[in-house]
Amino acid sequence: MIPSDHFVRFYNEVFKFLDEQGGLEAYYREISLHQELHCLELFRSRKLQGMYEYYRKIYKEENCQGELILNEGELILRMDRCPSLTKALDNDAGACRKYCLHCPGWTAPLYRKAGLYQIYELMGLDNPQCCEWIYEDKVRAEAKYRERKAAAKDPAMILSNLT
Amino acid sequence: MLRYQENNELHRDFHGTTNTTLNYIADHYGVDALKMILRKTGHDVYKSIREKLEKGDASELIEHLNWFFYRERGKYQLTVSEDEIVFEVLECPAIRHLRKLGLEPSQHVCLQTSEVNAGMCEGTPWHSEVKVLEEGHCIQTFRKEPSHDTK
Repeated sequence: MIPSDHFVRFYNEVFKFLDEQGGLEAYYREISLHQELHCLELFRSRKLQGMYEYYRKIYKEENCQGELILNEGELILRMDRCPSLTKALDNDAGACRKYCLHCPGWTAPLYRKAGLYQIYELMGLDNPQCCEWIYEDKVRAEAKYRERKAAAKDPAMILSNLT
Repeated sequence: MLRYQENNELHRDFHGTTNTTLNYIADHYGVDALKMILRKTGHDVYKSIREKLEKGDASELIEHLNWFFYRERGKYQLTVSEDEIVFEVLECPAIRHLRKLGLEPSQHVCLQTSEVNAGMCEGTPWHSEVKVLEEGHCIQTFRKEPSHDTK
């Protein structure tokens, strides 16, 4: 058994292998389908409130340092210290340089299925910080996307599931 | 002393993601590729355990087995002698959690144990073996070759 505590370091090895094979994107889609088991119905039926409840549990179980902010029509997931990338970096095997990309990779299609729009800002692929803004209203999401693209040092680090 | 200190909350649903990943890699890239990734995980991630085994020191391996199965509330029996470690898992926490989630354990689920253990032992005097007796019940054995006695 790979302990739950060490899953991330196994995941990291899988990413290295798949990156060499050009197979990361397809794998993210598979993980997204798997994650539907845990949260799609909740997100579909209860939208941002459901997402807030799901991530509140995840933040606790995964020992995240950050904040969940639920505003009217907007959920902000601010990650100040991502435990996942932190473990991948604290690792004798070394971190996959694309490690961070799995998060937007699996969440974007799942949120889209739930009718939610996501703007995702990575703070660098070796920095365990990121921020997500999630909306039910596509117009608000598009406005946030333009705002973050304009403000970001590296616009390539701003991702979305708008298209 | 463990290289990776883990004392906080547990997210057991990672067993589900591991299960999906085992199937995905085996189905798309073959079982040999899956074994290679798992063995590399054992070899590289658990470098600290492996390097101690090379020197004849099994202390971190023993602590690893005991701590992480205890943390996941597994049922197990650990028997240690100078040249042999026998770790009988009576109820595997990963398989128990997969069943709780309603997931069918991958046919490759026990490779995570056999290949990671083999990776930890690679290049050391120790050899590992896993005998699966029934679902969730296995005996993991680590045995030191007498010819490699470091004393």
